[in-house]
Amino acid sequence: MSDSANARAEAREPGPSSTNQVRGFVRVARLLAFGWLLHFKMLSQSAFDGFLAILWPLFFATVAFFVFRSGHASSALGPVALGAAVMGVWTATSVSASSALQRERRLGTLELLVAAPTSLALVLLPVTLATSSIGLYCIVATLLWARLLFGIHVPVAHPLPFALGIVGIVVTIGSLGFLMAVAFVRSRRAWAIGALTEYPVWLICGFLVPVSLLPGWVRPLSWVLGPTWGMRAIRDGAFGGGRPLLDVLVCFGLAAAYVAAGVLVLGTVIDSARRRATLSLT
Amino acid sequence: MSRHLRVFFVGGLISYRALFGFLSLWIFVPTLILTPIFQILLFAYIGRAAGARSDEFYVVGNAIQCSSVPCLFAMTQTIADERFYQTLGPILISPAGRLPVFLGRAVPVILNGAFVAAFALFAGGLILGVSFDGAAWARLVPVLCVATFSCTGLGLVNAALGLRIRETAVLSNVFVGLLLIFCGANVPLSALPAWMAEIGRGLPLTHAIEAARAVAAGGSLASVRGLLGRELLIGAIYSAAGFGLIRFLELQSRRHATLERA
Amino acid sequence: MAGAAVIEARELRRTYRTTTGVLRRRPLQVEAVRGVSFAVERGELFGLLGPNGAGKTTTIKMLITLLLPTSGSAHVLGLDVVKHAREVRQRIGYVFGGDRGLYERLSARDNLRYFAELYGVSGKAQRQRIDEVLELVGLAGREQERVEGYSRGMRQRLHIARGILHDPEVVFLDEPTIGVDPVGARELRQTIGELVRAGKTVLLTTHYMFEADALCDRIAVIARGRIVGEGTPSALKAGVAEGTVTEIEVFGVDNGAVDRLRAVPTVTAVTVEERDQKQLLVIQATGERELTAPLLAQLDGVEVGRVSSREPTLEDAYVALVGGDSG
Repeated sequence: MSDSANARAEAREPGPSSTNQVRGFVRVARLLAFGWLLHFKMLSQSAFDGFLAILWPLFFATVAFFVFRSGHASSALGPVALGAAVMGVWTATSVSASSALQRERRLGTLELLVAAPTSLALVLLPVTLATSSIGLYCIVATLLWARLLFGIHVPVAHPLPFALGIVGIVVTIGSLGFLMAVAFVRSRRAWAIGALTEYPVWLICGFLVPVSLLPGWVRPLSWVLGPTWGMRAIRDGAFGGGRPLLDVLVCFGLAAAYVAAGVLVLGTVIDSARRRATLSLT
Repeated sequence: MSRHLRVFFVGGLISYRALFGFLSLWIFVPTLILTPIFQILLFAYIGRAAGARSDEFYVVGNAIQCSSVPCLFAMTQTIADERFYQTLGPILISPAGRLPVFLGRAVPVILNGAFVAAFALFAGGLILGVSFDGAAWARLVPVLCVATFSCTGLGLVNAALGLRIRETAVLSNVFVGLLLIFCGANVPLSALPAWMAEIGRGLPLTHAIEAARAVAAGGSLASVRGLLGRELLIGAIYSAAGFGLIRFLELQSRRHATLERA
Repeated sequence: MAGAAVIEARELRRTYRTTTGVLRRRPLQVEAVRGVSFAVERGELFGLLGPNGAGKTTTIKMLITLLLPTSGSAHVLGLDVVKHAREVRQRIGYVFGGDRGLYERLSARDNLRYFAELYGVSGKAQRQRIDEVLELVGLAGREQERVEGYSRGMRQRLHIARGILHDPEVVFLDEPTIGVDPVGARELRQTIGELVRAGKTVLLTTHYMFEADALCDRIAVIARGRIVGEGTPSALKAGVAEGTVTEIEVFGVDNGAVDRLRAVPTVTAVTVEERDQKQLLVIQATGERELTAPLLAQLDGVEVGRVSSREPTLEDAYVALVGGDSG
């Protein structure tokens, strides 16, 4: 067979066989990785949106630094700087992820994504992971800001848990974003609901305020949110103490739970939407 | 004179309805009601964690700072809508007299902003256990109105800049963020570096926040009249600057046909 | 399975529930597709021709599994579009016209790589396949450029490339040449023709009659949600061949006069075309009889310009089919 015929033959979906399980797994991994890369590339190029996504948390970080300085709690400035750095990851995700499907609809690509023989969950997850990865720019920007303008130095006592903590928080926030995107798939005001969660998450996940300071009934909510654990891991990785690797584990575990929940909900939502034509793909 | 009044009230009312008509409940409630409360809680707890100021300090400061969102966005949206619907040109050249028209557009924004601040004060305070008696409210309400009047003046400047800049939402957000830092909502001016405090004194809301705190703690309106006076002056200056800038841009656009560009 | 249709639609119906009114919203049922049936054989280029709002896009969306039919059934390659949606999606390509549907900030190649992943075009074959489709649609050499710089015609070609990446047996094209300049559109049609020559089955929707005439092996004319005519282009033309078309130029005609014209015996359709200061009345009638006199009699009092008679074309067949159905 000619090369071209080979290529075309391979291009078609192969029939069922046992080696296809491995192939399927590889395919899923490629799809997630490639989708993530493409969307990260696209989001990174949107300069003006990015500008505000980085700048907005910086306003709040600046105020927080002043408050802690004026409160003579200067020893807390390091952890606060870390917390402020991570705030940006949530900011980058909260609005962007919940309106991910709205964005695809506007681009006209949503119906192509639904018409593809790949589950929408596999298509959507890389998108929300890309939005939370944009938060990495925020982390760098905030730590630089804290260092240059406020002289706040953040040590890294244990680099591995620290790095894992950062990866963990990006992944768990991306997964939470996935759940939100799925939950708001029908709503055109999704971005507003996403925006509403910005301050509450900053507060409840212990970015700037220790969870122990929050009212008792709020704390279970904190423990159920992955970012809380990621934050702990990052802090303990930077300043030592605690059990950061365990925190990272919980962080990833919760991320997996969010994805599973999202996949479940997405299945039922799409079914009902196709029946009642409420998914308005264009 | 009565013609001007009619333009002022009727025009303003219609514009207000048009403004919030497009905003569904889903955006209105979260943005203007819930977000201010969350912001108050966030900073009150930051204050507690830092061992800085009392809850009341943050409640008053943030409630007033939050009113900057509706003031800036609503004013800018009004002007942007006029431009989008291509009515800005006609308004600016109509014989109705530009000043009453624009003031009419501003009053609903001012009142709405004051309501947002008042509600945030009430609800945020309720959650944190900070309350004000009736007498304190009677003194606070006028201070809130002065605050939002002043901030709406900044909104006019923002709106004018928005006629030239495409990304008006970014600009509005930047102003809100700057106010958060500089106007003493969370950090008293005395705790800021001198140059930052100077900037703060030139911005709206700063004096009103100081006045509101004094009045909430029991001070009389008379005792804060200096602060209120300065706030009104700042508001007037920003309003005049914004108004002037819009007129200037209108003149420019007649030469370059840019005003109606969507 | 010799003889089995590749695409089969049986009594497809699709109703939308929408609301009307601004203050007090009332529910409204819109029947977009009202019992559409047709079959497409392997290797055919089948056209679904109709004016805007006829139900073409709704029909095609039901066939490509994006919409569930309210009633009726459809099969593609023997697979039920409702029950076996994923299997259907693996074997079909979907291309629609217009500017949207591509990631503007990415290059054409990146767009294709993304969709190749979505359609399971495996790693090794991917690069080669992408090169092939770029060559086929004539975009080779421009694939590294960002889509946002592409013209409408180029975007359309990229859409087609995307649609055939996974080498589907059946390709659905929804108004592929809409908004494309005439030269670009001609090139697109050539590409579409090549798809069929490569052995694919193609279903094309369009409202350009000459396009359907030039490209399609068979056409189904759809109007107001129903098929009002079906057959090869020549058969459709033959349907109006025994007849005449009279064209009368008038200056200001009222609806009453048009209705009277319709009432003249053997007249099948009357259309009014606006041409600056005047209108052109196009009257189709069966039979060979010269109709000028009875027609002009109905236009008493109306200022009349040129009058001419001619043989019908496919356009007239189309207008008759589409305009004639009052349902």
